[in-house]
Amino acid sequence: MEYSRTLKNNNVIYSGTRNTYNQQTTSDFSIRFVFSGNERYNIGKRQLSIYNDSFLILNKGTHYTSTVESAIPVQSFGISFDDKFLQDFRNGWQFKDEALLSINKNPFINRYEHEFDETIYPFKGDLFFNVNHLKHHLDRGLQDELLINEYLHHCLINYFQIFNEEIFQKAQRLNFLSRSTKIEILRRLNLAKEYLYSNFNSNITLEELAEYACLSVTHLLRTFRQAFHQTPHQFLVQIRLQRAKDLLKNTDYPVNEIVNMVGFDCPSSFIRLFKGRFQTTPLKYRQGFSITIV
Amino acid sequence: MKIKYLSVFTDDIEKQIAFFIENLGFEVLGKKSFLPGQESVLIKTNNPDLFIVVHMDSDSEFRRGPVIINSQDCLNDYHNLKMAGVIFHNEPHYLPIGLCAAFSDPSGNQYLLLEERSYTTQV
Repeated sequence: MEYSRTLKNNNVIYSGTRNTYNQQTTSDFSIRFVFSGNERYNIGKRQLSIYNDSFLILNKGTHYTSTVESAIPVQSFGISFDDKFLQDFRNGWQFKDEALLSINKNPFINRYEHEFDETIYPFKGDLFFNVNHLKHHLDRGLQDELLINEYLHHCLINYFQIFNEEIFQKAQRLNFLSRSTKIEILRRLNLAKEYLYSNFNSNITLEELAEYACLSVTHLLRTFRQAFHQTPHQFLVQIRLQRAKDLLKNTDYPVNEIVNMVGFDCPSSFIRLFKGRFQTTPLKYRQGFSITIV
Repeated sequence: MKIKYLSVFTDDIEKQIAFFIENLGFEVLGKKSFLPGQESVLIKTNNPDLFIVVHMDSDSEFRRGPVIINSQDCLNDYHNLKMAGVIFHNEPHYLPIGLCAAFSDPSGNQYLLLEERSYTTQV
Protein backbone atom coordinates (compact mmCIF):
# COMPACT_ATOMS: atom_id res chain seq x y z
CA MET A 1 0.00 0.00 0.00
CA GLU A 2 1.35 3.41 -0.94
CA TYR A 3 0.03 6.76 0.19
CA SER A 4 1.19 10.27 0.77
CA ARG A 5 -0.97 12.37 3.08
CA THR A 6 -0.58 16.13 3.25
CA LEU A 7 -2.46 17.43 6.25
CA LYS A 8 -4.12 20.85 6.45
CA ASN A 9 -1.20 22.12 8.54
CA ASN A 10 1.21 20.91 5.81
CA ASN A 11 2.63 18.01 7.79
CA VAL A 12 3.24 15.20 5.31
CA ILE A 13 3.22 11.46 5.91
CA TYR A 14 4.49 9.02 3.31
CA SER A 15 4.18 5.26 3.38
CA GLY A 16 5.09 2.87 0.59
CA THR A 17 6.38 -0.55 -0.31
CA ARG A 18 8.82 -0.73 -3.18
CA ASN A 19 11.64 -2.74 -4.67
CA THR A 20 13.83 -0.04 -6.14
CA TYR A 21 13.68 3.67 -5.70
CA ASN A 22 15.83 6.67 -6.28
CA GLN A 23 14.97 10.22 -5.45
CA GLN A 24 16.65 13.52 -4.92
CA THR A 25 14.76 16.12 -3.02
CA THR A 26 14.74 18.78 -0.35
CA SER A 27 12.33 18.48 2.52
CA ASP A 28 11.10 19.93 5.78
CA PHE A 29 12.46 18.52 8.99
CA SER A 30 11.60 14.87 8.66
CA ILE A 31 11.98 11.47 10.26
CA ARG A 32 12.51 8.42 8.05
CA PHE A 33 11.80 4.82 8.98
CA VAL A 34 11.71 1.45 7.27
CA PHE A 35 9.56 -1.41 8.52
CA SER A 36 11.27 -4.09 6.41
CA GLY A 37 14.39 -4.29 4.27
CA ASN A 38 16.70 -1.31 4.25
CA GLU A 39 16.96 2.07 2.62
CA ARG A 40 20.20 3.85 1.89
CA TYR A 41 20.41 7.63 2.06
CA ASN A 42 23.24 9.59 0.50
CA ILE A 43 23.81 12.97 2.12
CA GLY A 44 26.86 14.58 0.59
CA LYS A 45 29.60 11.99 0.89
CA ARG A 46 27.87 10.11 3.68
CA GLN A 47 25.94 6.92 3.04
CA LEU A 48 23.47 6.04 5.75
CA SER A 49 21.48 2.81 5.81
CA ILE A 50 18.40 2.48 7.96
CA TYR A 51 16.74 -0.76 9.00
CA ASN A 52 13.69 -1.50 11.12
CA ASP A 53 15.61 -0.84 14.33
CA SER A 54 16.83 2.63 13.42
CA PHE A 55 15.62 5.90 11.95
CA LEU A 56 17.13 8.90 10.26
CA ILE A 57 16.65 12.62 10.81
CA LEU A 58 16.78 15.02 7.88
CA ASN A 59 16.82 18.75 8.51
CA LYS A 60 14.92 21.21 6.38
CA GLY A 61 16.76 21.94 3.16
CA THR A 62 18.96 18.87 3.18
CA HIS A 63 19.68 17.43 -0.27
CA TYR A 64 19.73 13.69 -0.30
CA THR A 65 19.34 10.67 -2.52
CA SER A 66 17.56 7.61 -1.23
CA THR A 67 18.07 4.21 -2.75
CA VAL A 68 16.40 0.94 -2.09
CA GLU A 69 18.41 -2.12 -3.02
CA SER A 70 16.97 -5.05 -1.20
CA ALA A 71 16.06 -8.65 -1.86
CA ILE A 72 12.77 -8.09 -0.09
CA PRO A 73 10.32 -5.20 -0.68
CA VAL A 74 11.12 -2.23 1.50
CA GLN A 75 8.38 -0.63 3.55
CA SER A 76 9.33 3.00 3.90
CA PHE A 77 7.60 5.41 6.23
CA GLY A 78 8.39 9.09 6.59
CA ILE A 79 6.99 12.08 8.43
CA SER A 80 7.79 15.66 7.40
CA PHE A 81 6.91 18.36 9.90
CA ASP A 82 5.82 21.78 8.79
CA ASP A 83 7.91 24.63 10.24
CA LYS A 84 5.00 26.15 12.14
CA PHE A 85 3.96 22.84 13.68
CA LEU A 86 7.54 22.27 14.75
CA GLN A 87 7.90 25.76 16.18
CA ASP A 88 4.59 25.52 18.06
CA PHE A 89 5.69 22.20 19.46
CA ARG A 90 9.03 23.62 20.58
CA ASN A 91 7.42 26.60 22.27
CA GLY A 92 4.93 24.45 24.15
CA TRP A 93 7.30 21.65 24.98
CA GLN A 94 10.24 23.70 26.14
CA PHE A 95 8.17 25.69 28.59
CA LYS A 96 5.96 22.88 29.84
CA ASP A 97 7.74 19.62 30.26
CA GLU A 98 9.62 19.75 33.51
CA ALA A 99 11.07 16.30 32.95
CA LEU A 100 13.17 17.67 30.12
CA LEU A 101 14.13 21.00 31.61
CA SER A 102 17.70 19.80 31.82
CA ILE A 103 17.97 20.40 28.10
CA ASN A 104 16.83 23.98 28.47
CA LYS A 105 19.52 24.58 31.03
CA ASN A 106 22.11 23.29 28.62
CA PRO A 107 23.93 26.18 26.96
CA PHE A 108 24.34 24.14 23.80
CA ILE A 109 20.63 23.81 23.19
CA ASN A 110 20.73 26.96 21.06
CA ARG A 111 22.92 25.24 18.59
CA TYR A 112 20.28 22.56 18.22
CA GLU A 113 17.31 24.86 18.30
CA HIS A 114 16.81 24.80 14.59
CA GLU A 115 18.95 21.89 13.53
CA PHE A 116 19.44 18.35 14.73
CA ASP A 117 22.25 15.94 14.07
CA GLU A 118 21.39 14.25 10.79
CA THR A 119 22.35 10.81 11.82
CA ILE A 120 20.94 7.39 12.61
CA TYR A 121 19.13 7.00 15.92
CA PRO A 122 17.78 3.83 17.53
CA PHE A 123 14.09 3.26 16.79
CA LYS A 124 13.01 2.43 20.30
CA GLY A 125 10.91 3.41 23.28
CA ASP A 126 7.70 5.34 22.93
CA LEU A 127 8.53 6.50 19.42
CA PHE A 128 8.42 2.87 18.31
CA PHE A 129 4.94 2.38 19.77
CA ASN A 130 3.49 5.68 18.57
CA VAL A 131 4.78 5.39 15.00
CA ASN A 132 3.48 1.82 14.79
CA HIS A 133 0.06 2.91 16.05
CA LEU A 134 -0.02 5.82 13.61
CA LYS A 135 0.95 3.63 10.66
CA HIS A 136 -1.63 1.03 11.69
CA HIS A 137 -4.41 3.66 11.61
CA LEU A 138 -3.24 5.30 8.39
CA ASP A 139 -2.98 1.95 6.63
CA ARG A 140 -6.67 1.47 7.49
CA GLY A 141 -7.63 4.84 6.08
CA LEU A 142 -7.74 7.08 9.16
CA GLN A 143 -8.92 10.54 8.08
CA ASP A 144 -9.23 12.34 11.43
CA GLU A 145 -6.49 14.96 11.27
CA LEU A 146 -6.87 15.87 14.94
CA LEU A 147 -5.92 12.35 15.90
CA ILE A 148 -3.14 12.13 13.31
CA ASN A 149 -1.67 15.38 14.63
CA GLU A 150 -1.92 14.05 18.19
CA TYR A 151 0.30 11.15 17.11
CA LEU A 152 2.68 13.53 15.31
CA HIS A 153 2.91 15.73 18.40
CA HIS A 154 3.85 12.68 20.46
CA CYS A 155 6.35 11.54 17.83
CA LEU A 156 8.14 14.84 18.34
CA ILE A 157 8.06 14.44 22.15
CA ASN A 158 9.51 10.95 21.70
CA TYR A 159 12.14 12.08 19.22
CA PHE A 160 13.31 14.89 21.51
CA GLN A 161 13.55 12.35 24.32
CA ILE A 162 15.73 10.07 22.19
CA PHE A 163 17.79 13.07 21.06
CA ASN A 164 18.29 14.03 24.70
CA GLU A 165 19.35 10.49 25.62
CA GLU A 166 21.59 9.96 22.61
CA ILE A 167 23.30 13.35 22.59
CA PHE A 168 23.19 15.14 25.93
CA GLN A 169 23.05 12.24 28.38
CA LYS A 170 25.80 10.31 26.62
CA ALA A 171 27.93 13.42 26.21
CA GLN A 172 27.81 13.84 29.99
CA ARG A 173 29.64 10.53 30.35
CA LEU A 174 32.70 11.81 28.51
CA ASN A 175 35.69 12.78 30.61
CA PHE A 176 36.20 16.30 29.35
CA LEU A 177 35.88 19.49 31.30
CA SER A 178 34.41 21.59 28.53
CA ARG A 179 30.78 20.84 27.69
CA SER A 180 31.26 22.05 24.13
CA THR A 181 34.09 19.51 23.73
CA LYS A 182 31.83 16.79 25.10
CA ILE A 183 29.10 17.59 22.58
CA GLU A 184 31.56 17.78 19.68
CA ILE A 185 33.20 14.45 20.58
CA LEU A 186 29.77 12.85 20.96
CA ARG A 187 28.78 14.15 17.53
CA ARG A 188 31.88 12.49 16.06
CA LEU A 189 31.19 9.27 17.95
CA ASN A 190 27.72 9.26 16.43
CA LEU A 191 29.41 9.46 13.02
CA ALA A 192 31.29 6.30 13.98
CA LYS A 193 28.04 4.68 15.02
CA GLU A 194 26.30 5.58 11.77
CA TYR A 195 29.26 4.13 9.86
CA LEU A 196 28.91 0.87 11.77
CA TYR A 197 25.12 0.88 11.25
CA SER A 198 25.56 1.42 7.51
CA ASN A 199 28.54 -0.85 6.80
CA PHE A 200 28.05 -3.63 9.34
CA ASN A 201 28.38 -6.32 6.67
CA SER A 202 31.83 -5.17 5.52
CA ASN A 203 35.21 -5.70 7.07
CA ILE A 204 35.63 -2.45 8.95
CA THR A 205 39.04 -1.47 10.24
CA LEU A 206 39.50 0.76 13.25
CA GLU A 207 41.57 3.10 11.10
CA GLU A 208 38.79 3.72 8.57
CA LEU A 209 36.24 4.08 11.37
CA ALA A 210 38.43 6.62 13.14
CA GLU A 211 39.01 8.52 9.92
CA TYR A 212 35.26 8.69 9.22
CA ALA A 213 34.66 10.01 12.74
CA CYS A 214 37.54 12.51 12.49
CA LEU A 215 39.21 11.03 15.60
CA SER A 216 42.44 9.17 16.22
CA VAL A 217 42.10 5.43 16.81
CA THR A 218 43.13 5.78 20.45
CA HIS A 219 40.76 8.66 21.00
CA LEU A 220 37.92 6.79 19.31
CA LEU A 221 38.38 3.66 21.38
CA ARG A 222 38.59 5.53 24.65
CA THR A 223 35.69 7.92 24.12
CA PHE A 224 33.42 5.35 22.44
CA ARG A 225 33.65 3.16 25.51
CA GLN A 226 33.06 6.12 27.81
CA ALA A 227 29.97 7.28 25.96
CA PHE A 228 28.33 3.99 25.01
CA HIS A 229 29.76 1.60 27.61
CA GLN A 230 30.96 -0.78 24.91
CA THR A 231 33.72 -0.93 22.31
CA PRO A 232 33.08 -0.23 18.61
CA HIS A 233 33.58 -3.94 17.97
CA GLN A 234 30.99 -4.93 20.57
CA PHE A 235 28.57 -2.43 19.03
CA LEU A 236 29.25 -3.87 15.57
CA VAL A 237 28.63 -7.43 16.77
CA GLN A 238 25.37 -6.28 18.34
CA ILE A 239 24.20 -4.79 15.01
CA ARG A 240 25.22 -7.90 13.09
CA LEU A 241 23.34 -10.16 15.48
CA GLN A 242 20.25 -7.97 15.23
CA ARG A 243 20.38 -8.02 11.41
CA ALA A 244 20.88 -11.80 11.46
CA LYS A 245 17.88 -12.15 13.76
CA ASP A 246 15.73 -10.16 11.31
CA LEU A 247 16.92 -12.28 8.37
CA LEU A 248 16.20 -15.49 10.27
CA LYS A 249 12.72 -14.25 11.04
CA ASN A 250 11.78 -12.73 7.68
CA THR A 251 13.65 -14.75 5.02
CA ASP A 252 14.40 -18.35 4.06
CA TYR A 253 18.14 -17.81 3.59
CA PRO A 254 20.22 -20.67 5.03
CA VAL A 255 22.03 -19.83 8.26
CA ASN A 256 25.44 -20.11 6.59
CA GLU A 257 24.40 -17.54 4.01
CA ILE A 258 23.08 -15.20 6.70
CA VAL A 259 26.40 -15.49 8.50
CA ASN A 260 28.13 -14.09 5.42
CA MET A 261 25.41 -11.52 4.69
CA VAL A 262 25.77 -9.83 8.06
CA GLY A 263 29.57 -9.84 8.01
CA PHE A 264 30.57 -12.73 10.26
CA ASP A 265 33.45 -14.93 9.09
CA CYS A 266 32.67 -18.10 10.92
CA PRO A 267 29.31 -19.87 11.51
CA SER A 268 30.41 -21.40 14.80
CA SER A 269 31.35 -18.07 16.36
CA PHE A 270 28.10 -16.59 15.02
CA ILE A 271 26.07 -19.35 16.70
CA ARG A 272 27.95 -18.88 19.95
CA LEU A 273 27.44 -15.11 19.93
CA PHE A 274 23.77 -15.47 18.92
CA LYS A 275 23.13 -17.91 21.75
CA GLY A 276 24.95 -15.67 24.19
CA ARG A 277 22.80 -12.70 23.29
CA PHE A 278 19.37 -14.21 22.65
CA GLN A 279 19.58 -17.38 24.80
CA THR A 280 18.63 -19.58 21.84
CA THR A 281 20.32 -20.94 18.74
CA PRO A 282 19.65 -19.39 15.30
CA LEU A 283 17.79 -22.51 14.14
CA LYS A 284 15.59 -22.71 17.21
CA TYR A 285 14.85 -19.00 16.89
CA ARG A 286 13.78 -19.50 13.27
CA GLN A 287 11.72 -22.58 14.11
CA GLY A 288 9.76 -20.44 16.56
CA PHE A 289 8.38 -18.50 13.61
CA SER A 290 7.70 -21.42 11.23
CA ILE A 291 4.07 -22.48 10.87
CA THR A 292 3.28 -26.15 10.85
CA ILE A 293 0.38 -27.02 8.56
CA VAL A 294 -1.32 -30.25 9.60
CA MET B 1 -10.63 -0.96 26.79
CA LYS B 2 -11.14 -2.98 29.93
CA ILE B 3 -10.61 -2.50 33.64
CA LYS B 4 -7.37 -4.28 34.48
CA TYR B 5 -6.05 -2.85 37.74
CA LEU B 6 -7.51 -1.49 40.96
CA SER B 7 -5.09 0.62 42.96
CA VAL B 8 -4.89 0.54 46.74
CA PHE B 9 -2.59 2.62 48.89
CA THR B 10 -0.74 1.85 52.06
CA ASP B 11 2.03 3.11 54.30
CA ASP B 12 2.74 -0.47 55.43
CA ILE B 13 3.10 -2.66 52.38
CA GLU B 14 3.82 -5.90 54.30
CA LYS B 15 0.67 -5.51 56.38
CA GLN B 16 -1.39 -4.76 53.28
CA ILE B 17 -0.06 -7.80 51.40
CA ALA B 18 -0.67 -10.01 54.42
CA PHE B 19 -4.29 -8.82 54.45
CA PHE B 20 -4.80 -9.80 50.81
CA ILE B 21 -3.15 -13.19 51.24
CA GLU B 22 -4.34 -14.28 54.66
CA ASN B 23 -7.75 -12.66 54.83
CA LEU B 24 -8.91 -12.64 51.22
CA GLY B 25 -7.00 -15.62 49.84
CA PHE B 26 -5.34 -13.72 47.00
CA GLU B 27 -1.75 -14.27 45.76
CA VAL B 28 1.18 -11.99 45.11
CA LEU B 29 1.97 -12.03 41.39
CA GLY B 30 5.10 -9.91 41.46
CA LYS B 31 6.33 -6.34 41.30
CA LYS B 32 5.90 -3.75 38.59
CA SER B 33 7.21 -0.23 38.16
CA PHE B 34 4.21 2.03 37.60
CA LEU B 35 5.85 5.21 38.83
CA PRO B 36 9.43 6.51 38.52
CA GLY B 37 11.65 5.10 41.25
CA GLN B 38 8.93 2.99 42.88
CA GLU B 39 7.89 -0.62 42.47
CA SER B 40 4.29 -1.53 43.21
CA VAL B 41 3.12 -5.00 44.20
CA LEU B 42 0.69 -6.85 41.93
CA ILE B 43 -1.95 -9.01 43.59
CA LYS B 44 -3.70 -11.78 41.68
CA THR B 45 -7.43 -11.87 42.40
CA ASN B 46 -10.02 -14.55 41.68
CA ASN B 47 -10.75 -12.77 38.41
CA PRO B 48 -7.91 -13.69 35.99
CA ASP B 49 -8.30 -10.38 34.13
CA LEU B 50 -8.29 -8.13 37.19
CA PHE B 51 -5.35 -7.32 39.43
CA ILE B 52 -4.89 -5.21 42.54
CA VAL B 53 -1.89 -2.90 42.62
CA VAL B 54 -0.52 -1.99 46.02
CA HIS B 55 1.20 1.38 45.90
CA MET B 56 3.15 2.94 48.69
CA ASP B 57 1.04 5.84 49.96
CA SER B 58 1.89 8.89 47.92
CA ASP B 59 0.30 11.81 46.20
CA SER B 60 0.55 10.13 42.82
CA GLU B 61 -1.93 10.23 40.00
CA PHE B 62 -2.87 6.67 40.88
CA ARG B 63 -4.35 8.15 44.04
CA ARG B 64 -6.51 10.33 41.84
CA GLY B 65 -7.37 7.51 39.40
CA PRO B 66 -7.56 4.28 41.37
CA VAL B 67 -9.43 2.39 38.64
CA ILE B 68 -6.98 1.67 35.83
CA ILE B 69 -8.49 1.00 32.42
CA ASN B 70 -6.24 -0.90 30.09
CA SER B 71 -5.89 0.54 26.60
CA GLN B 72 -4.27 -0.95 23.53
CA ASP B 73 -3.71 2.52 22.11
CA CYS B 74 -3.92 5.35 24.63
CA LEU B 75 -3.76 8.23 22.15
CA ASN B 76 -6.58 6.77 20.08
CA ASP B 77 -8.79 6.04 23.11
CA TYR B 78 -7.97 9.43 24.65
CA HIS B 79 -9.01 11.13 21.42
CA ASN B 80 -12.23 9.13 21.03
CA LEU B 81 -13.26 9.57 24.67
CA LYS B 82 -12.56 13.28 24.49
CA MET B 83 -14.67 13.57 21.34
CA ALA B 84 -17.44 11.75 23.25
CA GLY B 85 -17.36 14.43 25.97
CA VAL B 86 -15.20 12.76 28.60
CA ILE B 87 -13.23 15.32 30.61
CA PHE B 88 -9.55 14.50 31.08
CA HIS B 89 -7.44 16.00 33.88
CA ASN B 90 -4.28 15.89 31.86
CA GLU B 91 -2.93 15.12 28.43
CA PRO B 92 -1.47 11.66 27.74
CA HIS B 93 1.94 11.45 29.34
CA TYR B 94 4.64 8.88 29.94
CA LEU B 95 5.33 6.73 33.00
CA PRO B 96 7.80 3.83 33.34
CA ILE B 97 4.92 1.46 32.62
CA GLY B 98 3.60 3.23 29.51
CA LEU B 99 1.34 6.04 28.37
CA CYS B 100 -1.56 7.26 30.50
CA ALA B 101 -4.18 9.97 30.99
CA ALA B 102 -6.64 10.54 33.86
CA PHE B 103 -10.34 11.36 33.53
CA SER B 104 -13.49 11.65 35.67
CA ASP B 105 -17.06 10.42 35.38
CA PRO B 106 -20.03 12.80 35.97
CA SER B 107 -20.04 11.95 39.71
CA GLY B 108 -16.41 12.89 40.13
CA ASN B 109 -15.01 9.36 40.34
CA GLN B 110 -11.64 9.19 38.70
CA TYR B 111 -10.05 6.73 36.31
CA LEU B 112 -6.71 6.24 34.66
CA LEU B 113 -6.47 5.22 31.03
CA LEU B 114 -3.24 3.25 30.66
CA GLU B 115 -1.48 1.71 27.66
CA GLU B 116 1.14 -0.63 29.09
CA ARG B 117 4.27 -0.80 26.98
CA SER B 118 6.93 -3.46 27.12
CA TYR B 119 10.08 -1.58 26.20
CA THR B 120 12.27 -4.67 26.43
CA THR B 121 10.55 -6.63 23.64
CA GLN B 122 11.05 -4.11 20.85
CA VAL B 123 12.83 -4.83 17.56
